Amino acid sequence: MNFLALTLLAPLLSGLTILALRRAPEALALAGAVLGLIGAVGLFIAASDGTVQAVLPGLPDMPLRLVATPLTAVLALVVATVAGFVLTYATGYMAGDPEKARFFGTMLLFVTAMQGLVLAGDWIMLLAAWEMIGFASYLLIGFWHGRAGVASAATRAFLYTRSADLGLYLGAFLLIGVAGTSEISGTLAITGAPALIAGLFLLVAAMGKSAQVPLQDWLQRAMAGPTPVSALLHSATLVAAGAILLIRTAPMLPGGALLAIGIVGGLTAVITGLIALAERDLKRLLAASTASQYGLMLVAIGAGVPIAALLHLIAHAAIKSSLFLGAGVFQHDREGTGLDTLAGAGRARPGIFAGFAIAALALAGIPPLAAFFSKDAIIAAALASTAAPWLLPLALAGSVLTGTYMGRALKVLWTGEAGPARTPVPFMAIGMSVLVALAAGLGFSFGALEHVLGAEIEKPGWIVPVIGLAVGIGGLALGWFFAPARLLGPLLAPAQNGFTVAGGMDGLILRPSLSIAAACEAFEQRLLAAQIGLIRNLGLGAARLVDRGDGQLFKFSIWIGQQSLRLGRGTRSMDTNRIDVAIFGLVRRITAASTRARRLQSGLIHRELALTVIGIGLIVIVLLTAPHYF
Amino acid sequence: MILELMIALTAGAAMFGTGLYGALSQTNLVMIIMGVELILAAALVNLVAFWRYLHPEEPAAQMFVLIIMAVMAVEMTVGFGIAIARFRSRGSVEMEEARELKG
Amino acid sequence: MTVQMIFLVFFGGAAVWFGIVVFRTHSMVRSALALLFSQTAVGLMFLVMQAEFLGVLQIMMMATEMSVMAIFMVMFMMDPGGMGAMDMTHQKRLSLWAGGIGLAAALAVIWLADWGPIGTDIPGAAQQTADLGRELLGRSMFIFQSVGLTILTAMVAATMVAIAPAKEQPK
Repeated sequence: MNFLALTLLAPLLSGLTILALRRAPEALALAGAVLGLIGAVGLFIAASDGTVQAVLPGLPDMPLRLVATPLTAVLALVVATVAGFVLTYATGYMAGDPEKARFFGTMLLFVTAMQGLVLAGDWIMLLAAWEMIGFASYLLIGFWHGRAGVASAATRAFLYTRSADLGLYLGAFLLIGVAGTSEISGTLAITGAPALIAGLFLLVAAMGKSAQVPLQDWLQRAMAGPTPVSALLHSATLVAAGAILLIRTAPMLPGGALLAIGIVGGLTAVITGLIALAERDLKRLLAASTASQYGLMLVAIGAGVPIAALLHLIAHAAIKSSLFLGAGVFQHDREGTGLDTLAGAGRARPGIFAGFAIAALALAGIPPLAAFFSKDAIIAAALASTAAPWLLPLALAGSVLTGTYMGRALKVLWTGEAGPARTPVPFMAIGMSVLVALAAGLGFSFGALEHVLGAEIEKPGWIVPVIGLAVGIGGLALGWFFAPARLLGPLLAPAQNGFTVAGGMDGLILRPSLSIAAACEAFEQRLLAAQIGLIRNLGLGAARLVDRGDGQLFKFSIWIGQQSLRLGRGTRSMDTNRIDVAIFGLVRRITAASTRARRLQSGLIHRELALTVIGIGLIVIVLLTAPHYF
Repeated sequence: MILELMIALTAGAAMFGTGLYGALSQTNLVMIIMGVELILAAALVNLVAFWRYLHPEEPAAQMFVLIIMAVMAVEMTVGFGIAIARFRSRGSVEMEEARELKG
Repeated sequence: MTVQMIFLVFFGGAAVWFGIVVFRTHSMVRSALALLFSQTAVGLMFLVMQAEFLGVLQIMMMATEMSVMAIFMVMFMMDPGGMGAMDMTHQKRLSLWAGGIGLAAALAVIWLADWGPIGTDIPGAAQQTADLGRELLGRSMFIFQSVGLTILTAMVAATMVAIAPAKEQPK
């Protein structure tokens, strides 16, 4: 359990830390890779005793599972090992790049996703991890997105693999629906028509991810990314996902599916081998070679011996990654990967070239190097299968072509001017040398590995090794001594074009997808414009309404003000006209009354006498009548 | 008896009315004083009539008569003194010309 | 009492008649004399009503006063003889009304009021005088004294008013 967590969490946390901090990316990356490797080793040891499981909460009735059987633990170990040493190499390769942090962070996130895919115990987890590695591949291929052609290559790769992922979705949902559970081991018990259909769907998915014909072109375009990316993703891990898928579901696949897988793999092996031979760029040659090798693995699966495919996968991981690392060193020297540019680069770095040569010979199938044993197993499987008449010639042709293009590569690298002395590249050398050692020596561990996985390969007789050796040496010789133009003859031009048919994947997949996307974008723009227009109209209408309301309010307040003014004026007028008039009138009347009253004060005695008499009379009356009333 | 009282009182009333008329209508001060004399005489007649016919045992009524007679004398004295002073300053005692107290 | 009544009517009428004459005649002397006769008739009425002392007093006093008044009349009037036949009245209507109303009111009171029992025991003249004297110097001493003071004051005041100030006389 702890190793399981360590395997997944170490790269995840270091990747997130690098992306967050953007400091000391190499140290954090190496720390994360080392811890992940420790976790994977521990996990392998634990899994060889018994299956290690972890259940995580997921969808209702479909929890996420991580399961470490010997098979998945081995794959996890492979991923962790290659990742660790490629990251060591990348420390030197990306030394001068200003965006190292982004690179290392994304690489570690990819490693996490790959481990998640490899250790997935249920289809939902696998699907999620599948998507994640595709996305990480997109980010990493397009790492130098400022350069011409890189962005389109990344988009192309993403779209091709994405279109093939449809097969995985359909297959997975079919399996879940039929089996009733999302656990992979549970779904492997299906038989009959659903198994066949599901198998074909899964084959489509594998074709996409593992760059099988007709979807092989994206892998070559993916070489636009940095070399460590090519070494990790596009040789050992991401392209292995397709093969891993088929290996894990092999118990379920019925004969028809197996036959289809084998045919597809064989055709790929041959066609991409021819393309590799015609290639003029080293990395693209190696990419085509990768597709070819995976074709051979599919042949083995199709022949019914998935263990052979697994062994070849492990061997190929070490071999191809070391080949890419070597190519990266030469690219570093010559600032380019074209075979013309790299002519003679091997001479300047004998050590690196030695490693490259060892890996190349291993790939060609020279004993006692690793791929000899796995290639023999594949040929033996093809020989022993029921579809031998189809599979065997394809497998043999593929093997021959392997040797041929590797020989050619070796020749180009060796023949030519050495150029000036080169600065030593310690990190790159260390990373590469470990993988070369693995490439050389893994073959001897295959016996123990078979024992751990519980699947023994029947030891073939002497004929298969002889055939294998013959095709390997023969191929190398052909490649060394003869130019591709002579070997391919009329097939040279089509091979150089990648055998495009009817516009190829561009016309079938890429352009339709992009035009649909453009149409959707235009529709959305119109929708947005309509929405904005609506909102604007509504807003303006509302604003106008509010403005009118405000105007009314304003008029109303003005009216109130006028009423107040009128009230004030009325009050003032009342004050001046009524109250003042009343008061002054009162004053006037009082004055008039006083003027009239003044006349009483005539000063004339007789008048005053008369008044006195009248007053006396009044007093008498009052005095006489008052007692009656009071 | 009662009729005699009435007669006496009636005479007093008539003298009062005449005296009032005279006091108010005459222009000369002396004539006004004469009118006042008549009024007072009427009051005397009334008093004596009341004494004789209603309260003959009461000497206070006669006392009152004496007082009124004294008042008559005093009033004539002061009045004539004022008339002399006025005549000296104005040359006549006509009340029509006495407007000094006009307000 | 019929005699008393006749005499009362006669003397009352004389008093009223002479009172009216006072204001109807143009001659001042005749006015004074008419007033004299009116007052004398009042005094005679007193005598008729058995108030001997008061009657005599009235006659004596009024005679003197009317004489003095006649003298003053002659002094102050511009037409003492009344030869000019000037109308020396003003506010005649008002005065008539006032007099008329006063007369009417008094008559109304006299003839409409209930005067109560008539007194019958009339003391003799000597008795009246003695009672009056006692009254005057007994209960009404205060009034008597104040009246005396008032008369004195009036005499002094009148004298002062009448005497012309020395400075105002032309030299």
